[in-house]
Amino acid sequence: MEAFTDWLVSTPINGLVLNYAWSWPTLESLHFLALCMLMGSLLIMDLRLIGFNRIIPLQAVHSLMPVAIVAFAVNMITGFGFLFGDPYTYFANYAFWVKMGLIVLAGINFLVYFTKVEPKIINLGPNEPTPGLAKAVGVMSLVFWFGVLSYGRLLPYLGTGGG
Amino acid sequence: MGFLVWLEATGLAEWVRSSISGYPSMIALHAIGMAVMVGLSLLLDLRILGWFAGIPLQALQRFFGLAWIGFGINFISGSALFSAQATSYIVDWVFMTKMTLVLFGAITAAILQPAVVKAGPSGVVSGGTKAVAAIAIVFWVVAIVMGRLTAYL
Repeated sequence: MEAFTDWLVSTPINGLVLNYAWSWPTLESLHFLALCMLMGSLLIMDLRLIGFNRIIPLQAVHSLMPVAIVAFAVNMITGFGFLFGDPYTYFANYAFWVKMGLIVLAGINFLVYFTKVEPKIINLGPNEPTPGLAKAVGVMSLVFWFGVLSYGRLLPYLGTGGG
Repeated sequence: MGFLVWLEATGLAEWVRSSISGYPSMIALHAIGMAVMVGLSLLLDLRILGWFAGIPLQALQRFFGLAWIGFGINFISGSALFSAQATSYIVDWVFMTKMTLVLFGAITAAILQPAVVKAGPSGVVSGGTKAVAAIAIVFWVVAIVMGRLTAYL
């Protein structure tokens, strides 16, 4: 682990993130904008899965999936920027690991959606109810992602033993 | 300024400034409210501009309702955060720019919500409505950036 963190700070990315006054705030601004897009698209998709706003056909909510995926990719890239900049602080912070764990759980939940739920529901039209598993996946998605958001925002205030 | 000095001296301001849970709990709520209000607003604005055309415009009405809940969360958490350092925030041009943009953003949502209801099942919105949606995206994006920069300037 120490070798890994030493490597992270030895890369040119570390300098890029730390040596310019604007790079950290720029990464943060992008991270925040993309999190809004991610959570906004998830709210619309997951709430339809749960049964809210049934007048939307499932195919139509599914058109938001690329938004969620691109937004997540932006946050993974900007997130790696923070990690390359200050890995010791993050790795020593338990809230960071809770956040990463919740992202893994959200990923597993997405796989359940992709393999078990989507094939069954994708052709559901307006006002058609979704099966129980779809509702459960929608609820878990919102729980995990709002957890990711909360732990992410609380990171600087929780378990800051490392820095 | 007298009001702001009084505000900073309230128990609420003291709780946000000095307690272990005050500032973190308010800042976490503020992130959640932001994700709900701004996240939904950006997507609803894009829908009004013609993206994701399969989503009926009528469906947007309920999401606007949900977005206002996010706005309410941020009004409350934001007021608490403001109270802790009211006299500093009020003279911070980055913060004041953000607040102006948030106000403008909220006004766009208040204009767009009835406009999508009026569009009805045909789903046709006027050019003016689309223009408001386009400006709304600019307001929200700059508000987020300014909000983030408030921590630096």
